[in-house]
Formats: sequence, C-alpha cells, structure tokens
Amino acid sequence: MGLYVLTYVCALVFVLAVGLRIRRQIALPVHVRWELYPVRHETTERVAYGGSYLEALNWWERPDERSLWNELKYMAPEILLMRGLWKENRRLWWVSFPFHFGLYLMVATFGLLTLHALLALADGHPLGHLLNGLIGLAGWSGLILGNIGCLGLFYRRLADPELRDYASFADYFNLGFIFLFFLCAFAAGLGDPSLAGARAYTLGLLTAGSALEASVPGPSAAGAAAVVLASLLTAYIPLTHMSHMVMKYFFYHSVKWDDAPNRRGGKIEAAVQKNLGLRPTWQARHVGADGRKSWREIAASEPGEMK
Amino acid sequence: MRTRLAPADISRPSDCLSHIEAGDLAPLPPPYEDFNATAIPPLKPEKVRHIETSLDDTVALAIPRPASPEEEDARVRQFLSGLKKLFEKENNWTFLQPLLLSMEHCAKCQTCADACPVFEMSGRKEIYRPTFRAEVLRRIYRKYLRPGGKMTAKLTGDIDLNWTAIARLAELSYRCTLCRRCAAACPIGVDNGLIAHEIRKLFSQEMGIAPKEIHEKGTVQHLQVGSSTGMKPPGAKDSVEFIQEEMEEITGWKVDIPWDVEGAEILLVHNAGEMLAWPDNVGAFAVIFQAAGVSWTMSSEAAGYDVVNYGLWYDDVQFSRVAVRHADIARRLKVKKIVIGECGHAHKALTVVADRLLTGDLNVPRESALVTLADIVLSGKLRLDPRRNDFPVTLHDPCNVVRSMGIVAPQRRILEKIAPRFREMTPHGVENYCCGGGSGFALMSGHNFADWRNRVSSRKKFMQILAAFANEPAEVPKYVCAPCSNCKGAIRDLIGHYHAEERSRLYYGGLVELIVNAMADMKKPILRFGDEPSWKT
Repeated sequence: MGLYVLTYVCALVFVLAVGLRIRRQIALPVHVRWELYPVRHETTERVAYGGSYLEALNWWERPDERSLWNELKYMAPEILLMRGLWKENRRLWWVSFPFHFGLYLMVATFGLLTLHALLALADGHPLGHLLNGLIGLAGWSGLILGNIGCLGLFYRRLADPELRDYASFADYFNLGFIFLFFLCAFAAGLGDPSLAGARAYTLGLLTAGSALEASVPGPSAAGAAAVVLASLLTAYIPLTHMSHMVMKYFFYHSVKWDDAPNRRGGKIEAAVQKNLGLRPTWQARHVGADGRKSWREIAASEPGEMK
Repeated sequence: MRTRLAPADISRPSDCLSHIEAGDLAPLPPPYEDFNATAIPPLKPEKVRHIETSLDDTVALAIPRPASPEEEDARVRQFLSGLKKLFEKENNWTFLQPLLLSMEHCAKCQTCADACPVFEMSGRKEIYRPTFRAEVLRRIYRKYLRPGGKMTAKLTGDIDLNWTAIARLAELSYRCTLCRRCAAACPIGVDNGLIAHEIRKLFSQEMGIAPKEIHEKGTVQHLQVGSSTGMKPPGAKDSVEFIQEEMEEITGWKVDIPWDVEGAEILLVHNAGEMLAWPDNVGAFAVIFQAAGVSWTMSSEAAGYDVVNYGLWYDDVQFSRVAVRHADIARRLKVKKIVIGECGHAHKALTVVADRLLTGDLNVPRESALVTLADIVLSGKLRLDPRRNDFPVTLHDPCNVVRSMGIVAPQRRILEKIAPRFREMTPHGVENYCCGGGSGFALMSGHNFADWRNRVSSRKKFMQILAAFANEPAEVPKYVCAPCSNCKGAIRDLIGHYHAEERSRLYYGGLVELIVNAMADMKKPILRFGDEPSWKT
C-alpha cells in the first residue's frame, strides 16, 4: 500500500506543479510582440518561406487567416521526432531523440496500462490481448531507447567540452535520476518480460490495491525501485527546467508565434491599457520614474536629461 | 591547465578575459587573405586608462572605473536592484513572460552556438557563445535573487558577483547584434538574444549605462531636437530641397516632396540618416510615389521625419517615448497609414513591438515600404525597363524585417521585375545572417569598436556577399541591395574596410534606387559605380 500512496502523492505533486506553472504563465501581463518567423499558423503559401500577414497591402483591413492544420503539421514532428534538433544539431539528436522518445514511450506505456486496467475492471474485453501486445512493444522500446539515450547524453555531456563546461551538478543529477529509473525498469523487465507486474501495479493504482489481481510491482526489488523512481520522477520533473516539455507550449504560442495584432477596442488593447497604468521604479535619471508615475505618463514625458 | 573559459570566469580578475589573435578569425577567401593575418588594432592605453576594458579587445560602453571599493559595492547593489526589477511586472511587463521562459528552461545543449555568426567568426571565442552571457545572468539571478540561492549555487552552477563581472557583463551585452538567429535555432524556443537585450535594459534603466551613440546622441537627441542625426526640422527641409533638385536632374521632371499634408493617405517616414548619407534613397521614394500617383506626405515636426527608434535595442522607456511621438504625429496629420522607409529596426519597432503600446487613436496602421513598393511595381503603375539594371545584384535581408516580421516575399517580387541578374545569398530570408551592424553596432565606432565590427560581427555577411558573386569576374560591378539604413551603414563600412570596391567592385544601396534605375523614362541613371553610370544615357 505504501507504494500506491507514494505514487498518488507524486501524481498529485505533478498535477499541482504543472498547474501552478501554467497558472503563473497565464497570469503574466500581456507583453510586447516578440514573434519569430516562420510563424507556423500562417497560410500554407506564406509558411513555406516564413512570410506573415504583414506582407499584405493594408493588412489591417483583411480578415485573420490562421491555419491550425499548418501548426499541427509542424508541431507533431517537432514534439515526437524533435525535428528542430535534427535540423540544427544532428550530433545531439542521435542521443537526445532516443532519450526523449524513450520517455514518451514510457508515458504511452502508462496510458496503455491504465486502459488495460480499466478494461480488466470491466470484466475483461477482447481488446485485452491487443493491449498486452502494445504494452510490451511500447514498454520495451521505451526502456531500450531510454537507456541508450541516457548513456548517450551522459557521454556527450562528459566528453564534449562545450556541454561539459556549462553542466552543473544538477544537470548530471537529473540525467542520473532518469537513467536510474530506466535501468531499474529494464532490470525489472528482464525478470518479467511480459510486464505482468506493471499491469498488476496499475490495476492496483486504480483500485487502491483492493482488486484481487492487483499487487505490488512483482516480486523483484528492481520492480519496486522502478515504481519508486518513476513516481518520484513524476513529481520532480515539473519542479525543474525539465518542465520545458510543458512550457514549450508557452514558448511557441505566447512568444514565438504570438503575432496577434492589437485591434482598437479588443482584448489586447484592454490588457495594454492596464499595463500602461503600472508604476515602474527604475532608478536611472532619464527614466524619471518615482513609483507614482505610470508607464503611460512616463511614455508621454521627456527623458531626465532634457528636464 | 584549463584554457577554456567557463561562465564563472567572468568574475576572475584579469586585464583581458578573451583576446582574438590574428589567426583566430574565420579565414576570408581570395583576394582578401591578407586580412587573415591582421589582428584587431589594440585599444590606446592613454584613452582607456579610466574606463573598464577587461572583457576583450574592444569597448562599446566606456564605463568609468569606480573610484573606490565602496563605489564598486554600491554599483553591485545597484545592479542587483535592477536585476530584481527585470522580474517585476510593474517594471518589466513589456518582456516579463519571454524573459522568464528563457531564464528558466535552457537545456544548455549549445545548439544556438552554431547559429551565431559572432561566435563562429570569432574563432568560437567562448565569451561570444550565446549561452555564455545568458548563463552568467542565470547564475547571478539564481544565486543572489532566488530564495536559498546561495546554498544551492554549488549544485546549479556557481558564480561570484563583483564589479569586474558586472562591468564585463555590460560590455558583453554589446557583443550580440540581437539578430535572434540563436532563438530561431533553439529546439525549445529559448531566446538568448533576448537575454542580451534585457541585460542592456537593466544597465540603462537602472544604472544609466548605455552607449552614447544610441542614448545621448540617439534617443535623447531624437526626442530633444527631432532626429538622432542631430538634424532639426529646418535642416530636414533644407536637405529635402537639395534632394528634390538632385532628383529633377535624374528624372528630367519636377519632383515634389510634400510636407505636412493633412489627410494624406500615407505618412512616409525615413531614417533621417538617409537624408544625410544616402539622399538618393529619399529622392527615389519621392520619384516612385509621384510617378505612381500616391497621396503621401512627410512630416516636418520634430521626430516626424526620423523613423528610427534606438530604444528598441536597449531601453523600453526611451522606446515607448519615441514610438508614442511617431504615432501622435501620424494621428494629428490624420493620415490613413504610416509607411516606414528602408529602415529595418524601425520596421520592427513601430509595426510589431509598439503594437502593444499604442492604444486608441494612437494605433495608426503601419505598413512596410517594401509592401507599398511591391504593390506599385507589380500593379504596372511604373514603366520599367529591367535591362537598365543589367549587373549582378544580391539581396541582404535585414533581420528585423524578415525574422522578426515575416516580410520576405515583397522585396523579392520587386527584384524579379527589375533585376535580371539577381541571385540570393545563402542562407537568406528568415535564415539570413545579420549585417553585423544590428542593434546599434553600425552606429557605434568609439575606440576601436568599428574594427571589431568589421572583423568579427560583419565578417559572416562579407563572406556571404563574396560567395553570392563568386562566379562573377572581379571587374564587373556588383550591387548589394540592402533595404535598411543600419545594414547599409555596416555594408558600407565593410566595403571600405576590406577595399572591396577596388578588389571586387562591390557597391551597395537600397531597393528604391534599383527601382528608379529601372524606370524607363528617367533621363539619367540614379546608380553610379564609382565614376561610371550604371547605364549609358
């Protein structure tokens, strides 16, 4: 039962930490535009070369043309296959891709395990056999790729001075933590190739251990260690810079691709009006801030040198 | 013994943290090999005795050395106070979200390094790596501003904070052209160029430290007299009168440049530097607009005839003041739109960045001149004879116009119509390389900064230009079309520095000059290659 509690607590930490991070991003004030082209929701013609709606004569008189399909076409290979890294840093891709895809497959395996457990609770289902196969495929592929990726990333961080000189203890710790999980899970899998222990543990998670088929993760210490490490990792990742897996959404949608024009009477204008009422305290003489004057007043004033 | 520099070394005392030897720079091709053996001329000791010079071979800021340890401590405290403000919405709502994201999520994979022309051309000097300065700021932020930072610094990356580190960081923020190629390459979306921008801002807005060319002689002078060139309204009118006469020589007909026409469709605003350094550019616009029958005007009000906004590079407050001034002039003139002349940073400043600053009737529509011109050229309003531009042409893409605004096609559509021997640089468009004069560098020439720019930050552009014309004979005149005043300034200096007019017959200019040069009913060519007209009359 102790392991179940640990997993529940860690899952809760994950949800809270991710939720807080997202809430913090949403609560931030509207910032000035700082997009970077290509902006992938542009029309098919423009997105091919990085063009924007600003290329149109009297662009403000035209309707917004945004393509969700173009955005998805870009994002899917970017998230799954790390297309950007493939293009810009091929040497790193060979180790970073297996690492990340290994993690994705672990998440996918957990999803499949959960689905399997739900079907088991519904007194079995003909899809059960198919799911067993998929669990094995995703699980083993993920474990192999994850271990290869971790070793590769360790090697690159240690062998390449460009990476080594910028790596901190925390970077090695994070990688070591993930590697330990992959290693333990792999070792557990060697003693339980069909991943029956994982299925049983997931069923137990859904039933708080009350289902007859539920169990602690198999008989092995490696299995127990894998569950502990997976749970702790789930809680730990959103507390670190590794949360870029979630924050990347904001990097792209709130900065790189945020090309929404400020239309009179619109939401952006209202947010800007609010920002202009903020009172800065910058100390340089030319700014002329005293904590009482607003951005609006300061923008309409002359620099200190001229007074 | 370790010879590679790491971020923590920034606080280590030394006379020069990083030095470029003659052979370190990326080698130039023939006939420029002789430059491969020359180093950046050293700073003159008598001129830098009292200023901070311990970063590298040049100086952008000329920060006075503190007179005492107490003054050093006070400046360190001032720096930390400014750093804190970067993360407060009252002080930095303008960039808070992009900054926070980039501060917290860099994986230090160094993918950005290969995208940076300064880092590459310098011979991969560590201090110019995009993550170097960003990592210094991240470590200071984590250690000195985050709760428990001093305890966790050993785990997350330690750094000592002293005046040396701060003075070097200030200088280092002016070794990045803010071209944002690094941000475009980052698989996560981290913008280390933005971090350089934010460091500049901290120094300017909290400590009053900024290059005099972009603050005192830049934004302050702009707001004070009307132009960062120092040109007052009567001076602008005189210049334009002279330009009109010059254009009448070329066109053979009376050229009219209208001032302060209320209700005109277009308020055209140039970089005022064009009036002084490249008057043909201003004249060419007038010729095209007049020939196309456009309703337009220029403004003779202070700041209304100079579209630059140097605040974009270093100071949000100065940026806001200039942008509001521009918009207010357009509002009062009741024009339908502002058209921004061939000035890249002004494009981004007024169209994109100021978009979330201008509200109500200050939000006058803004359009790139490249778009307006493409409409004129493609609509057939001008009688064009592209054979008049029968010489090799390549196009330099200003970063602010392509990567920051996505205006890529209009200028190419024009060139396809008027330049039969046009060829692209590699890479181009949104993947272009900066001219090396971006973010104010083209204006900065104190001490030996111009030498550093020509040899390091502009080097990649020079190599690109040479490669674009590699198959042309040396004696054939070649035209680098750069529709941006700062880029033109940087390319002009490159050509002068490397004697490229003599060695490769390289010339440069804007896009409008090429258009007018191709107009069939001109009496004389507007372009000359040295003493030689570009086409025979």
